[in-house]
Amino acid sequence: MKRINPRDSQPFKYPNEVEWKNMIRRKLSLAAAVVTATALTLTACSGGDTPAADLTSVSIMAPFLEAQPPAADGAVQKKLEELTGKQVKINWAPNASYEDKTNITLAGSDIPQVMVIQGKTPGFVKNAQAGAFWDLTDKLDKYPNLKTTFPDIQKNASVNGKVYGVYRGRAPMRAAVMFRQDWLDKLGLQPPKTTEDLYKVAKAFTEQDPDGNGQNDTWGITIPKWGALGTNSPYDLIEEWYGAGNRWTEKDGKLIPSFETDEFLEADRFIKKMVDEKLINPDFATFDSTKWNEPFFNGKGGIIVDVDSRVSVLINLFKQADPNNFQNKVGFVGNLEGPDGKLHAHPTDGYSGFLAIPKASVKTDAELDKVLQFLNTMNGKDVAILLNNGIEGVNFKVEDGKAATIKPETPEGKAVTTDIKSYAQLGMNVAGNEFYPVKQPSDYEQQVFDKRTEVMAADLKSAVYNPAAPFVSQTYVAKGAQLDNIVADARIKYLAGQIDEQGLKDAIKLWDTSGGNKVKEEINKLWQDNK
Amino acid sequence: MAAPVIDTLAGERVGKKPPAPRTGGRFSVHFAHYKWLYLLLLPGVVYFAVFRYAPMYGVSIAFKDYVPFLGVNGSPWVGFRNFEDFFANPDFPRLLGNTLILAFLNLGVAFPLTIILALLLNEVRLSILKRTVQTLVYIPHFLSWTIVASLSFLLFALDIGPLFQFLNNVMGTNIDFLSDPAWFRPLIVLQEIWKNTGWGTIIFLAALSTVDQDQYEAAIIDGAGRFRRVWHITLPAIRSTIIVMLILAIGQMLNTGFEQIYLMTNALNREVADVFDTYVYFVGITQGAYSYSTAVGLFKSLVGIVLIFGTNWLAKRFNQSGLF
Repeated sequence: MKRINPRDSQPFKYPNEVEWKNMIRRKLSLAAAVVTATALTLTACSGGDTPAADLTSVSIMAPFLEAQPPAADGAVQKKLEELTGKQVKINWAPNASYEDKTNITLAGSDIPQVMVIQGKTPGFVKNAQAGAFWDLTDKLDKYPNLKTTFPDIQKNASVNGKVYGVYRGRAPMRAAVMFRQDWLDKLGLQPPKTTEDLYKVAKAFTEQDPDGNGQNDTWGITIPKWGALGTNSPYDLIEEWYGAGNRWTEKDGKLIPSFETDEFLEADRFIKKMVDEKLINPDFATFDSTKWNEPFFNGKGGIIVDVDSRVSVLINLFKQADPNNFQNKVGFVGNLEGPDGKLHAHPTDGYSGFLAIPKASVKTDAELDKVLQFLNTMNGKDVAILLNNGIEGVNFKVEDGKAATIKPETPEGKAVTTDIKSYAQLGMNVAGNEFYPVKQPSDYEQQVFDKRTEVMAADLKSAVYNPAAPFVSQTYVAKGAQLDNIVADARIKYLAGQIDEQGLKDAIKLWDTSGGNKVKEEINKLWQDNK
Repeated sequence: MAAPVIDTLAGERVGKKPPAPRTGGRFSVHFAHYKWLYLLLLPGVVYFAVFRYAPMYGVSIAFKDYVPFLGVNGSPWVGFRNFEDFFANPDFPRLLGNTLILAFLNLGVAFPLTIILALLLNEVRLSILKRTVQTLVYIPHFLSWTIVASLSFLLFALDIGPLFQFLNNVMGTNIDFLSDPAWFRPLIVLQEIWKNTGWGTIIFLAALSTVDQDQYEAAIIDGAGRFRRVWHITLPAIRSTIIVMLILAIGQMLNTGFEQIYLMTNALNREVADVFDTYVYFVGITQGAYSYSTAVGLFKSLVGIVLIFGTNWLAKRFNQSGLF
């Protein structure tokens, strides 16, 4: 008969032998003692690290989206410290786990003075409402570079009107339809203007052998695994073009979620028709979004509905494959007119998170003023150019008011170009982009770039904004993600044919009864109060 | 819990039935007699106190409305509200069902396969072959779930995956295994088998190596075939190991493996894919509901404890050899 203590049983190889057991137990205990001792020493070391009162250094927590964070002694870092006159300590955290890291940091004792917050997530809202960050609503206007020229966007970035950070401005209009220009030309079609045109082009791309290989092996639109509501997905865009609104929409003097409109159902019927006729890739529910460009590039699926910057990415793919013949492979248009003959263009909220100042590390108004002064410098033209273009004479030179990459690239220039991909995360640009637009490497690409800018500017005039963007409902904070999943999953299931339209309607009703009604109530109250 | 009975170095027992005379000096005498053994025990006790018991105060956030900024101590108490919300949640029966079904599938299919594979390996006479096969079946254990999931996505890719084509040809169907809810569980169990069966054989092979060889000879003389020998000698000899492993496996049963399931979930199969682990992540991390998800995790642990003690009690009732 054996007795094995449960805590020791796992490392056993031979549970039968008492000798073995005791040997392992002894080793474990020793190891444990060592671990304990080390841990205690470590805890003792990482005590308080109070910031200096005169603010000679500023600590910032920011996400990095590249494979590696920039080096702490790189040229950009040195130039940044030179321009701001402060020692800038940036704690780069990987983008994928950034929110976890934010929460862990806030719960800990070593809190930076400035934190990049990526959005109004439930975690952020809870912390902010508990008083973790300074309310900057009435403070920003005193600093010339922090006073925004886009007050609506600042309001979108606020929590029910309270501004908890300097928002990071982003182009508000980005939606575009990209298609294989060569296919379009071959079939003698015109670029789509309306959603009906989109259907026709997709159908032709599927059925008329646009690649001319004699096989029925192409489809129209490629859609990746991208289900969540209100994330600028292809579904969201098409629904908005149909007139369903942008997340929330006003109807009979009340705000309702866009999925409770008839236009939403109409748009999904339209998408389902394309799925049923195989105009959309059949694995749209599982297709990996990192491979989104592949079917387009390889001549399988001829249309992508996404942000306009993907146009350049696609052109680059063709350019890399064949530098002499990459023109006229990629065509694009902006937002499409809906069946009602009107253009309901889909804008983003115009910001991507904000730079917030935790109260735990910046304790007094005087300290806050110093940190805001620092952010004011950060938002000036010189630093904006550094963060977005790099260092003039090292990696770029100015040609006709544009930043042109210096060729051939020096190792120093390359390092700067790599680093600014991360440093751009610190850019706010609340008074518009003060840095240089990037000069495209060829005339063709410059033409495409200019056309993009033009199309997006034109579409912006017909933008339908989210009227509830500034508002945060408590119920939504508590269970919004779960609630939205009900509708988001039902939408995909409906498109895939797992449920019928009644099933989709039932899911929308379930959203209401599981807490959605309360969300609607709260949002409408906030909306009325802020009118 | 019954007082633990711990075998000491000397093969004596302390704890429930201390062998030292209890009359005269009581504990001090007992302690003086075994002081070196207690000293030896100390690091282990410290380890558990510091790393296992002290962090448990964090479990208190299950009964609070935790906000990271306010800290564990600063957040307000809410009693059992998080638990009430969880049990009243319409998702609860589905989560429990999905978790239990996956757990029993893993236990019912993957666990016996481990034993069978160990028995098969044990019967291999050619040493070099046995070792090679052993090494080969260990390898998948060292691949991360991300890799296993990527492999599955390649193999089962709609229209072009080799396994997609093969299986659909054999069955004469056109099933998208990756999104069909009916195929989610088989796929998960299959992955589990592929990844961990080989690794799981290690302990059984160790136990098998201790079986008395004379018994086999005796059985052969008595005219027993291979199956008879396995049934009457091998299996009874490793029976206690099997029971110990079974109890441990049952204790881990509700830990269905977050990564694996998270990676294989999509909008079309979420109905059957949502388990406690993915739910805790979804609600806790993406919605910032730390208290709520801690409550869910705590509930899961309680079920785990009940299962361990239940199985142990059953095992003792039937053959008097449990885990503790």
